Amino acid sequence: MSVTDTTPPVAATAGKPLPKPVSPSRQVWQMFRQNHSAMIGLFILFAIIVISIIGPSLYTVSPRDMVWMPLTPPGQSEYLLGTDYLGRDLLAGLINGGRVTITIGFSAAVLTILIGVTIGALAGFFGGRIDNVLMRVTEFFQVLPNLLFAMVVVMLFSPSLINIAIAIGIVSWTSTARLTRAEFLKIREMDYVKAERSIGAGNARLIWKVILPNAAPPLIVVAALSIGSAILFEAGLSFLGLSDPNAMSWGRMIGDNRPYILDSSWGVTFPGIAIFLTVLAISLVGDGLNDAINPKLRQR
Amino acid sequence: MLTGLLRKLANAVLLLFAVLVLNFALIHIAPGDPVEALVGEMGGATPELIAELRESFGLDQPLYVQIGHYLGRVLQGDLGYSTYYDQPVTHLIAERIGPTLLLVTVALLWAIVIGTILGVFSAQRRNSWISHLVTVLSLAGFSAPVFWIGIMLILLLSVAYPILPISGMTSTETATSTIGYILDVAHHLVLPALTLGLIYLAFYSRLSRTSMLEVLETDYVRTARAKGLPKRLVIYKHALRNAVLPVVTFAGLQFGQVISGAVLVETVFAWPGLGTLAFESILRRDTPTLLGILFFSALMVVVMNLLTDVIYRRIDPRIKAT
Amino acid sequence: MTSSSPLLSVRDLEISFRTGGREIPVVRDLSFDLSAGETLGIVGESGCGKSITALSLIGLVPSPPGRVSKGQILLNGEDIVTAGEDRLTRIRGNEISMVFQEPMTSLNPVYTVGEQIAETARAHFGSSRAEAWDRAIEMLKLVGIPSPEQRAHNYPHQLSGGMRQRVMIAIALVCEPKVLIADEPTTALDVTVQAQIFDLFRELQRKIKAAIILITHDIGVVAQMCDRVMVMYAGRKIEEGPVRSFIRDPRHPYTRGLISCIPKLSRDPSDTPEPLFEIPGVVPSPADLAELKGCAFAPRCNRAINECQLHSPALTPLGSDRAVACLRQEEIPA
Ligand SMILES: Nc1ncnc2c1ncn2[C@@H]1O[C@H](COP(=O)(O)OP(=O)(O)OP(=O)(O)O)[C@@H](O)[C@H]1O
Ligand code: SF4
Ligand SMILES: [Mg+2]
Repeated sequence: MSVTDTTPPVAATAGKPLPKPVSPSRQVWQMFRQNHSAMIGLFILFAIIVISIIGPSLYTVSPRDMVWMPLTPPGQSEYLLGTDYLGRDLLAGLINGGRVTITIGFSAAVLTILIGVTIGALAGFFGGRIDNVLMRVTEFFQVLPNLLFAMVVVMLFSPSLINIAIAIGIVSWTSTARLTRAEFLKIREMDYVKAERSIGAGNARLIWKVILPNAAPPLIVVAALSIGSAILFEAGLSFLGLSDPNAMSWGRMIGDNRPYILDSSWGVTFPGIAIFLTVLAISLVGDGLNDAINPKLRQR
Repeated sequence: MLTGLLRKLANAVLLLFAVLVLNFALIHIAPGDPVEALVGEMGGATPELIAELRESFGLDQPLYVQIGHYLGRVLQGDLGYSTYYDQPVTHLIAERIGPTLLLVTVALLWAIVIGTILGVFSAQRRNSWISHLVTVLSLAGFSAPVFWIGIMLILLLSVAYPILPISGMTSTETATSTIGYILDVAHHLVLPALTLGLIYLAFYSRLSRTSMLEVLETDYVRTARAKGLPKRLVIYKHALRNAVLPVVTFAGLQFGQVISGAVLVETVFAWPGLGTLAFESILRRDTPTLLGILFFSALMVVVMNLLTDVIYRRIDPRIKAT
Repeated sequence: MTSSSPLLSVRDLEISFRTGGREIPVVRDLSFDLSAGETLGIVGESGCGKSITALSLIGLVPSPPGRVSKGQILLNGEDIVTAGEDRLTRIRGNEISMVFQEPMTSLNPVYTVGEQIAETARAHFGSSRAEAWDRAIEMLKLVGIPSPEQRAHNYPHQLSGGMRQRVMIAIALVCEPKVLIADEPTTALDVTVQAQIFDLFRELQRKIKAAIILITHDIGVVAQMCDRVMVMYAGRKIEEGPVRSFIRDPRHPYTRGLISCIPKLSRDPSDTPEPLFEIPGVVPSPADLAELKGCAFAPRCNRAINECQLHSPALTPLGSDRAVACLRQEEIPA
């Protein structure tokens, strides 16, 4: 839930030297490649994405239809992972659910980053009144428990995939905004920014072309990690019954099968493992990116 | 110092006010109003009756009047009426708040205490098993859905090895003595508190390790060693006190997320707190109750933040009135 | 050089750091003595190993990645390099104290300055809380902090940089150590404060009779404060001798460069010290030095000859109380 809460506590970073401006992406890749766990994460992630995209056309069993006796344990029928309480094929559910889960996770993360970076950049760049107001807004959103707030939004506006993604985005952007703001505040005072300003660069250019690219490295890490938290978030909402009735996601599979755990532990175990593996892979990649961008902090 | 706190207090009130306005706005922006819902439940009504109902709900008034009324009611402790439970929302919340606070406090406490200990130890021995445990734990804790962890723990500790109850806060054959009751609740509390705490254990062990590693490299820790203090004092007096500062900050800031986690964990274990109430109100489309819980949770978060602030001021003398 | 056995004697010290899988020495073949009551200056360019040498004297070389890889550090004949942590704990702050370069960050922000002085006394003398507190106030008075009873209750952030450095000195002196190491104690402070701090050192040395090792970049400070000077370059000692001869008649080309960089030696301590080390060129990195055969200063030396690339010059005695490491020291006119 708090994966993106990486804004470091104030006391800890004060007075630290800044990381170097954008390192070439190739250098980052070199570092990243040497990180075994990050490469494993990347591989798992890649596999999951490929399965989600082409899996449904290779494994054509419908995830919605009753195909066998309900609550059949794994390995006792042609349906490898067994069936759920409605006799639906769990493997088909997993393969099809991946697409929904990842799509929502990704679009919610995009939204989170869009809102967070915009607000953080404006606050950090302009400072003063604007900063004050925007930080108040951020504080306001931080006070609302994010899951409850998302529950309210989704319940009031029907649980379509789009609404769910929007709800997650709306409640998740605050830490990104704080991080962006902190980066902007730092970079704003750097000599090269002052130089650009003195030769008459406009605000838009300063924000987009000068500061943002230099603030990008930590934001890329946060963006990667926020896909993971969005997936967990979606899972939580579907578990509570707030899922698109027309789409099967992993979280919903857990929610649907939960009342039957005494008869079929596999109904919740497998989708849970799927979520766990996906988010774990994303975390590994995110941490790997972080280390590659910020080699100093390696051992942490 | 006092003015600093006063300003925080004013800010808190403002925030809560904003939450109320948001609540109000949500009801109004959302498709369908309470009268339509009511009419739907009654199975249709005449236009006159509908108009009358609208008037009785105050829906015919201009928005600013409506919002004024709404705020006035909240100030009098009226968070609305749950048609499903046929009770004022405040009653429902009052009934459920105790179990939630119990769960959240116990979960956070054990997670913070154990997490800090793990983090501090692993910071001192970077390649020890404790250090690897913290790494694995924090990755796992970040990556697994909390409700799924809960279900897995049920399968393990209530089904495969039935030593802990599956759900609820008390057994049906209620204990007669007070001590029996407390033990019964404690027995039921273990699994939910363990589950909810696990994610925070992951978080706090990592946070305190990072923080401790940073503090161990500071000049003042070097000074403490250079003046010949025994290692025990260097670590537990000079380093630890500074290393826990971010832990305290985050404990306050994260309270909102803890409540969110509690919603999921309570639902898994049918723990009779606000979270289950929230879950039930979704099933019943009970908007007033859900909004009431949202407001009340925001209130708890705000109070927690203030409390953190007070604690922080006590342990970090640098913070003055700002 | 004293004939009686010195208080502190460093023998063939080598300190290495492990970087990228290799262990590279950053301080080598370092030997020097320090007798009671004496003030030894250590000068040298940034990165030449002054601080790391100082830290090794109290067993605080950051480890990993660093360690003392050779040699001995004898305090009254007892080797600090092989001493156990318990013994070191009793030596630090009690027999050898250190004042660091960074007064702003060297005090713990969450404890009062009185407590930070008092705890040192408690740790070494086992004093009671009340005794230790009184002692802390006495020390604050000694280092010239006005209204010490009140100041003792202040937190570091409530004090100026100069005040904080005085507190650091109070901590270092509370147990009346035999050796005080001051690593650029005034670099972060402004000039008037700097003068006051040095006055304080002199006064305290008279009272406590401590030996002082003063690490500095400032030849002016050396001239005023020190009895003897040791010049380091790239982890080695390249010249050593009494202050007077060091300034009047520097022998090593590097030292000559140093001295000629100061147009005049100011007598008034409040004069801005001249920036030092304007000798062009850079010091080879420790990794390159490890491979280097010849004199480390050769790339920058205006007297270098072919020989200099081939043989590392050994430290050679010069007269009764000096030593220089340069192949051409004989030829350099006095
Ligand atoms: N923690 C460390 N890890 C690796 N190398 C180090 C470390 N600390 C010091 N060194 C190396 O030791 C050498 C000596 O450093 P030291 O701090 O003693 O220099 P110095 O003479 O005190 O310089 P300055 O005048 O800048 O304080 C440096 O070249 C540096 O490369
Ligand atoms: S040995 Fe040669 S290079 Fe080194 S200082 Fe002497 S003259 Fe210069
Ligand atoms: Mg130094």
